[in-house]
Order: sequence, then C-alpha cells, then structure tokens
Amino acid sequence: MRGKMQPTVYNSRNPRMPSRPIRRSLLFSFLLIIVSGWAAAQTPNWHVPEQQLADKISAVTGPGAISLELANRSSLTRTQAEEIHRGLLQELSSLGLRSVAPEEAAATINISLSENLREYVWTAEISQGKNEPAVVIVSLPRTSATDSGHATPSIILRRTLLWSQPGRILDAALLNGTPQRLFVLDANSVTIYQMLAGRWQPQQALAISHSRPWPRDLRGRLVLRKDHLLDAYLPGVFCTTAAGISLTCHESDDPWPLGVADPPLNAFFASSRNFFTGALTPGVGKQTSAPAFFAAAPLPRDRYTLWLFTTTDGQLHLLDGFTDQSAATDWGSEIASVHSGCGSGWQVLATAQDSDDSKNDSLRIFEVPDREPFLIGQPTEFRGEITALWPQTDGASAVAVLHDSSKGEYEAYQLTLACDQ
Amino acid sequence: MKRTSLLWLAINSLALAGLAVASLMITTVARAATRPHYGGVLRLAIAGPVPSLDPADATNVSGQTAIQRIAPLLFNTLTTLDERGEAQPSLALAWKSDFSSQRWELQLRPGITFSDGTLLTANAVAASLRVANPRWNVSPQGDSVIIQSDAATPELPAELALSSNSIVLREGGKLIGSGPFTAAQWGPGKSLVLSARDDYWAGRPFVDSVEIAIGRSPRDQMLSFELGRLDGVELAAEQASGAVAGGRVVNSAPDELLAIVFSRGVQSPEEGRLRQALGLAIDRNLLNTVVLHSAGEPAGGLLPNWMTGYEFLFPRSPDSQRARQIHEGINQSSAWSLGYDQTDPAARVIAERIVLNAQDAGINIRPNPAASPDAQLVRIRLVSRDAQVALSHLALMLNLATPGSQRASSQMTSSPSTADLYAVENTFLQTQCVIPLLHLRTSVALARNVHGWSEAQDGSWNLPNVWLSPEKP
Repeated sequence: MRGKMQPTVYNSRNPRMPSRPIRRSLLFSFLLIIVSGWAAAQTPNWHVPEQQLADKISAVTGPGAISLELANRSSLTRTQAEEIHRGLLQELSSLGLRSVAPEEAAATINISLSENLREYVWTAEISQGKNEPAVVIVSLPRTSATDSGHATPSIILRRTLLWSQPGRILDAALLNGTPQRLFVLDANSVTIYQMLAGRWQPQQALAISHSRPWPRDLRGRLVLRKDHLLDAYLPGVFCTTAAGISLTCHESDDPWPLGVADPPLNAFFASSRNFFTGALTPGVGKQTSAPAFFAAAPLPRDRYTLWLFTTTDGQLHLLDGFTDQSAATDWGSEIASVHSGCGSGWQVLATAQDSDDSKNDSLRIFEVPDREPFLIGQPTEFRGEITALWPQTDGASAVAVLHDSSKGEYEAYQLTLACDQ
Repeated sequence: MKRTSLLWLAINSLALAGLAVASLMITTVARAATRPHYGGVLRLAIAGPVPSLDPADATNVSGQTAIQRIAPLLFNTLTTLDERGEAQPSLALAWKSDFSSQRWELQLRPGITFSDGTLLTANAVAASLRVANPRWNVSPQGDSVIIQSDAATPELPAELALSSNSIVLREGGKLIGSGPFTAAQWGPGKSLVLSARDDYWAGRPFVDSVEIAIGRSPRDQMLSFELGRLDGVELAAEQASGAVAGGRVVNSAPDELLAIVFSRGVQSPEEGRLRQALGLAIDRNLLNTVVLHSAGEPAGGLLPNWMTGYEFLFPRSPDSQRARQIHEGINQSSAWSLGYDQTDPAARVIAERIVLNAQDAGINIRPNPAASPDAQLVRIRLVSRDAQVALSHLALMLNLATPGSQRASSQMTSSPSTADLYAVENTFLQTQCVIPLLHLRTSVALARNVHGWSEAQDGSWNLPNVWLSPEKP
C-alpha cells in the first residue's frame, strides 16, 4: 500500500489550487471560529522611573523653562512612549520645570527611551547654553509584563491559556470539578494548582526524582486516572500518585499511553532520546510495531481505530490493524486528535514543518475521512515555538506548550475545536 | 566562614538545583514543529588559528574567537550567561559572597564526571581556576570552591562564565573536560573531531560528532561549503550580505569592536584635540555601508547599544568641518602612521578610507602595516554578554588602565548600575587612547539540513542543540 497516497494533498497552501481536498472541504458546512485566549495586556507602572528621571534632570537644570524632545529607541510601543512622555512632563512640572517652545527655553532636554538585555534605559541629554550636554540616566528592569501588549493575531481554533512560567513545561492537564485543578509537568516536578477566586493558586509541588541525566529535548506526559490522581511519564522514569497527594517515581521503561482510544494503545519511549521506539502494546490490531515515531493520534472508526504516526524520518504512517500506509508530508513532528463532534467527529491537529527556522510555529487542522488527510481552514499562527502537543484524557481537547522567546516564557494552552453552525 | 556575614544570592541549594535544570531547559529549546533528530556528522570550518585547545592559553590572542567557539564544546564553566546576560548555574549550583564581594563560595553540582570518568571535585576546579587566574586565591572546601580577591568582584559569577575560566583537568599534557563532546582527533592548528558524550550531564548532543577544519580562510571555507563538503562556515564581514548558494546566513548581534587604538597616551593638549579631530573626520557610516556592506553598525562607544542601552549617547556622526576647524586651531603638526592586520583584506581598505577622511580634515596620517605604528586598527571580540565584564576585558585589551580609569574601574566593580557603567566607559573614551569605529556582526553560512543553530550574543556556538535533518526518502 506504500506510495498510494498523494503527498501534495497535504501541501495545499495555495487557496486557488483545484485540489480534491478543497472540493471535499465544501461538503462540510462549518468553519471554525476564531477566538483569542490571550489575556489583555497589562499596563505597567512607569511612575517611579519618571519621577527618578525628572529628579535627575531637575538637579542639573533647576526650575525654569525647558524644551523637551522624546525619542523611543526601545521595544516600547508608541502608546507607551506617549504615556511616558506625558508622565515626565507632569513630574517635571511638579518640580518647577515648564515646557516651552525651544526658542524660549533655558535648557533643551533630549530624552531617549532605550534598552539593553536586562533593562529599559532612559537617558536625558541636557543642553544649557554653549556647555557640553550633561547626561543623566535611569534604568529599570524589563519584565514580561512590560514587554507584552502586542495585538493578537487571528487564530483558527479555540485556545485557552492555562499557565505560563519561565521554565519549560512538558505537559499540563486540567481536572474539572469543584474546585478546578491544573497539573503542570516540568523537568523537576508536577505542580498542582487550584482555581480560587478566578486565579490559579499553587497548592503543591510534587518532586520528580531521577538518577540519569534527562535527554536533550526532554518530553513528558501527564495522564489523569480514574482510580488514582495521575501518572507522569518521562524518558526512563514513571511517576504515579499514591494515597493522599504524593508522587512516587522510579526508573522504568514501561510504555506510555498514546492518545485516547478503545482499545488503548501504548508505546515504548527511547529513554535517552526524544522519540518512541515503534514497539506497540497491545498493538494496532495485529500490528505490534511501527517505525520509530514522535507522536501518534487515533481516529476512531465504526469497526476499528485508524492510527496516525509521525515518524522520525519525516513521514506520516497510517496503521489500521492490517496495513501500514506511508507518505511524505509537510507535517511536523507533533500531532494530536481531538473529538469535536463537528464533521466526521474527530480531527487531527498537526504542527507544520519549519523550513526556515522561523520563530513562529503554526497548527493546522486536518480531517481524515478515509486515508487522505485534508486541511480545514487556515493554519493558526502561534507567537513562538510549539514545544509539545499532547491529547487530553477526555479526548475532547489537547494541550499545546508554546515557548515565546521574546518573553522568555513557556505557555500551556488548552486547545478545543468549535463548530460554526 | 561566618554564615551571618554571608550574602546568599540563592535561597537554597534545592531551589537553585531546580533553577539550574530550568535554565538548562530554557537553553535547550526544541520545537515540536519538527522535533530534533539524533545522529549525523556536522562539518564546520573556522578561520582563526587554534594552536592549543587550552581555553586558559592567553597567548593565542588572534585565535580568541576560535577558542571561544570550541572551548564550550569540550569544557564547562562554573556559570553560564542567559539571554539577558545574567549568570546561571552550570557546574556551580549556587554561590554566595561576603558583603564586600571579595570572598565567594561556589557550591559544585554533584555527580559530574570528566570525559575520562574522573569525578569533578573541588580540588580539580580550584586547580583549573588557578591556572587561568594566577592572581586569584582559590581553594577547595568540601564540595565548594572559595575564591578570594583583593578588590570587590561583584561581577565574579558573570566572569566565571568566560571560556577562559573553563574547568579543565590537566593530566600529563592532556586537557580533559566535562563538556558535551570529547576530542576524538586533534591535529593542532588543523582539524578537530569531536564525539558526543552519551553521559553528558545536560543531555547528549543531537549530532554524533562534529568535524572542524581549522585555519581555513573565508574564501576556502565558502568554496568547500558550495561544494557541499561543509555544513557551516564563517563568513567574512564583506561576504555576509551576499546570498549563499545551498544555504542560509545567520548573523549575530554586533559583537566585535573595530577601533583605532593609539600606542601611547595623549602627550599634550594639542595632541588630544588632534585625536578628537580624527574621530570627527571619520565617516563611520560610509565605512560600514561601502567597505563592509553593512556588516555592522557605526560605533561611538566601546560597547554596542544592545548591551548597554546608552551607546547612542557617544558621538559617531562625521563632522569634517568641525574636524578641520579643530585642526586649523592647532599649531602642532603631526604625521601619524596607522597599522593594520595585513592578513585581513578588509583592514587595508578600511585604513585607506580612514586616511582619506583624515586628509579631508587636513590631518596627516598614512597607512603602515609595519610594526610599531602610532595607531593600530584593531578588531576585538566582546567576550561576554555582561556589559561590565565585557568592558573590563576591553579595557585590559586596549590597555586603558590609566590612573583615571583605574579609579573608574574600582567604582564600576562596586556599583554596577547602567549610569555608573556609562560613567566608566565615558572615562575610558576621554583618555582618547581609542577611537571606536564600528561594531561588527559575525556571520555563518549554514546548509539547509542544519537546524537548531543558535549563536550566543558573544559569538559562541551552541552546538549541542544543533541537529541535522535526514534526507527525504
């Protein structure tokens, strides 16, 4: 069956391409709505540095008439720069420095809003008469709060920010209930958060013990359980919660659960690498192995489950219990299937291959009515790099972890699909 | 050590251990768009001479860039600098100093081994640091190392991240490190083959090995690259703006200072004004755009603006009229010789352009690549993303430790605010021993199958994260 699939159908970025996928897509009368999960930009407080700079300027000039120009050489937005300009004038005014036209001014002040790796650097060059300009400087730390505030791009699926932190997030899981709980897996711990008064409050951090070094490109997965709280799978390490809330970890090469399917499927993870070896248990029908792969996604059918594998050689493999179809695609390494109830009921979320080391990744939604995936809608751009994509235990959502290098933060998003009726 | 007199910079070891791993994970971001592949041989070339792999070898000045790139592959430092230039744990998990910042205690990460299996101990670390810093008083204490100095050194954690402070086990003429690779083959000055360490404490590198051809001219490198014999090559400044067949170009932040350095201090007020006139006469923008094809940025300060945030305050625009006025007001006539590196083709052109600018202002200066010129055209790589450490190193390299600057330097180490750093740099520039010209980027050309390449802002290569995509079936 190898080679039967048409690779080009996965590449239909050109909306004018008269491809079968697009014709097929017209059969579906839904569009996925665009919802932003981004929080509103926070408004930083510039009052203290405004006051400091005004004090330093005043110490040079004394009270009197000044002319003030401001140039923004930093990543601050125009709105923020204007806000700072107004604040500075107000502070200077309170110190007896009046802003007048340049020809009437006793001192000319050129303010620059600059920055370095760690700080915002605000400088004032103060010219009085024929003297050499005096320079005063104040600096303040650059924070993620002050760095945020850009417009959110349109997206094609519903994404809800669950959690963000500077350290790398491997997976996150949401447990609905009263109160709602969030579990965040990183290299050192599973941290439990509880929703209180509309905010996630840390409840407990359960340490993960391991004796061998973690592999580069560390991966890990959280699975919520019915008979106990959760299991955490990391390369060569298995952790499970015991009575009360405690976490027990031990070295283990036990297989990791894949996707949400009946019957369930597990696969062995290479403990010193970043991929699954391909050994499956109990197997897809009679098939107990696949090529080494990065991710797998089940698509339940009436009488069987079709499993999709993104293999380490860059191909897509489809196993149905009897046959192994493969094709070269432009899919990335990560896939997850989500039960939406729209269209065929299940869709596949897939990352796209990065060809130019772009800083931004995207997610695409595919329908797989038979064996040929086809794209639905437009790719959803993420502002950063997607470092993990795992299905949630309920099958109705997935969790994507994004690394936003501009903020130095990892963000875990819950992804769901919605139908536009 | 009296604990009450210590200022802990970390809350506790456990927290820092977590931070260490967390910071490590930050630096080893791998994306799921296409997950990194393990395996393969990465073939690179570098121009600089590398007669020795010893990162503490201070005699290899011209190969500074090359060793800065190679050393982190074989050796670890006690700390590393993050994207913001702040010290993070590496071989040291935690550190603390006394209130005067003269005595530091660094707690070592447990369980680290050198590539020959020897356990990393405080004794080994102390011995290594003593070789690199003969003036430091370094001693082991349990699982920690104590570093004492006569002056306050608040920047010590950042300084320990310098490749010259790599931890090296020196045994019978062999250099053994705890880094991500081991040297499988070493042809001094010619080639180096590195093998990935499966047991590397921060995770095995993705590639199996790295082959580095050393001492190859940029032209030779490019030829081999275009023939598909190399996966990554350095580009000379004048090559960086061009398209590269079969690959892509990655540029660093401007991390190299191009400057005129005078061989002696200012001898008279007239000479000072003459140097001021020369600084005003040079059209840095033209040098950058015409001679170097925009490979850098005009510089008025010693450190680039991305590092300090204030560099634009130092004048860098040409003012030939003012230069001429200053020159005409000086009775003293002077004929300077300007030296440059004869092996650098761009240096000669830059020197000639400077001479032309100077002549327009009436200043007599002639290019002279021979020894002992009055002034020398130099290129100096910034060794650290920490502005204070980088400035201290520049001052040392440029011999700017005049009595005035010594006072400034002392002030800098005890009060490292941005405003203070500006004052120190301003003091250095007012000695008129150096005229900054440009801050240059370093560029590499990479084959299309090379992924995960990241070059730190100090130009060092982070090869453990590089991976090679497989051939399409």
